[in-house]
Amino acid sequence: MGGYLARRLLQMVPLVFGISVIVFMVLVMAPGDPVDLLLAGNPKVRAEDIQALRKIYGLDDPLHVRYVKWLVNALRGDFGYSRTYKVPVLQLVWDRIGNSMWLTIPSFLLALAVAVPVGVISALRQYSALDYAATFFTFFGVSIPAFWFGIMMIYVFAVVLRVLPPGGFATPGVAPGWPTVVDRLQYMVLPVVVLSLLQMAALTRYTRSSMLEVIRQDYVRTARAKGLAERVVIGKHALRNAMIPIVTILALGIPNLFAGAPLTETVFAWPGIGRLIVESVGGGDYATAQVALLFLAVLVLVFNLLADVAYALLDPRIRYD
Amino acid sequence: MRGQVSTGKARAAVRRPAAEQPAPRPAVGQGYWQIAWRRLRRHRLGMAGAGVVFVLLVAALLSPWIAPYPPTHIDLENRMSPPSWKHPLGTDELGHDVLTRLLYAGRVSLTVGFSAAVASALVGTVVGLVSGFYGGWLDNVLMRFVDIMLSVPDLPILIILARYFGGSLVGIVAVITAFGWMGTARLVRGEVLRLKRTDFVEAARALGASNARIMWRHLVPNALAPVIVAATLAVGGAILTEAALSYLGFGIQPPTPSWGNMLQNAQDFIWRTPLLAFWPGLMIFLTVLCFNFFGDGLRDALDPRLRT
Repeated sequence: MGGYLARRLLQMVPLVFGISVIVFMVLVMAPGDPVDLLLAGNPKVRAEDIQALRKIYGLDDPLHVRYVKWLVNALRGDFGYSRTYKVPVLQLVWDRIGNSMWLTIPSFLLALAVAVPVGVISALRQYSALDYAATFFTFFGVSIPAFWFGIMMIYVFAVVLRVLPPGGFATPGVAPGWPTVVDRLQYMVLPVVVLSLLQMAALTRYTRSSMLEVIRQDYVRTARAKGLAERVVIGKHALRNAMIPIVTILALGIPNLFAGAPLTETVFAWPGIGRLIVESVGGGDYATAQVALLFLAVLVLVFNLLADVAYALLDPRIRYD
Repeated sequence: MRGQVSTGKARAAVRRPAAEQPAPRPAVGQGYWQIAWRRLRRHRLGMAGAGVVFVLLVAALLSPWIAPYPPTHIDLENRMSPPSWKHPLGTDELGHDVLTRLLYAGRVSLTVGFSAAVASALVGTVVGLVSGFYGGWLDNVLMRFVDIMLSVPDLPILIILARYFGGSLVGIVAVITAFGWMGTARLVRGEVLRLKRTDFVEAARALGASNARIMWRHLVPNALAPVIVAATLAVGGAILTEAALSYLGFGIQPPTPSWGNMLQNAQDFIWRTPLLAFWPGLMIFLTVLCFNFFGDGLRDALDPRLRT
């Protein structure tokens, strides 16, 4: 296992390198460099000043030199300052990730809690009313634009029923302690539901097909033939095997929650990493966008690795070497 | 519990012949595509999806003739008006007729969806074909590149690309395509690896067929079915992506309407005119849903092995 892990980690190195190049290039290629943005609309600036500033920022260096400089600083933990917020980018991104966690973790748990039981039951009773309902739901879940679903939820629960806030993160001036918790929960309900929808639909579908495949296997028939209780056959023999591919899907889905966050967080004005990306790209805040993007990319890689490791651990048929 | 499981299975067994049986008795000369067409016609949801898609396409094509107003016509006296005889779905905050905007936006959204899906299928097929056929270091390089592209979180990077290249229709299609071809590439590569070892390819080679001819005449046609299915499902995905980017303000820019950018402002007016936010989203939802139904039907018809 140790060797397998080490090799997988080594394989990640070229991937991380490739991604860092892509992230760097995407933002460098973008028209309008930091100096242009800094001085835009300032009539007093002379051409020499622009040249001097470009030199200070190192914008005239060849691309590979700029990349290496950026990489060396990044490895030292220095990602520069956010132009919009005037704080170190790393600090900013870190705070926003924390805010995003308030949405991603509960919505992940919600998706899991709904999708796995529904998928299992729908496979056990294939072609029942519940199965059809579940299949239809998965189609809805993957076809509905999440942001529109969010807007409709705001309309129903904030505009018509007036039971939940239409967006935001916290009510100013709420007493600390219990009231703050209740307040935060109220803001969380709608975005969590919206964010979990897509994940839930995909997960239900995978659970159903994985379970369908497993219950037709010979070892399940054998378990039944031995006279085991149905509860044991399903719970122990079928479900445990069906869960192996599902764990992979789960691990791969977590970064998706963050990647899908720009929409949900924009709809509900939630100050998380997704909204930070939208804002920093819109405002030309390169350093921030780069780091936020890099964070998401590394997240995908880490969870890819976790998925593979979990797979290898759960399925004894897979050899580590 | 047990009884229910077995009845479920029995019912499944009864049903299966109707759903999966290829054709009662394939007549002589009945080709793969004819059999597939017959299977598709029996897939009710798939056909319903195709029907709605067809209606939407016709409506989009004919919008200059059926829309009540020109797309940028502004009725200053009736801004944010409720549905009326003059404006069947009301007007937006600038006085645009919502029905007119929906029709014209449909043209944009469907064009983006189709173009991006076709372009992604083309790029993916070429990459997969080359990668699978030639193998070796080229395969390695291309597939690692696919891995990298799949590891980059797509929506955030699409936002960045769309911000700089996405203002125009061509730009947004290019941006969506840039992150849409990898699935097809993997699919085609897998098919090519499988087909490469078949006897008919061997025979073609023995007869002296060139690499290009083998790829074009033997590999591509045989790998086509899953590509068509993937491309159909990709139309829905591309429409959703375009809508998301335009909603965030990085996609199609007003005054050109798209379902996504119509939603952008509508959210601000949800207290006064909630219907403004309702219609564009409903159109996106309906279109994507129907493409997914149709794609699902196609998958069952073209390749029953792929059933999930």
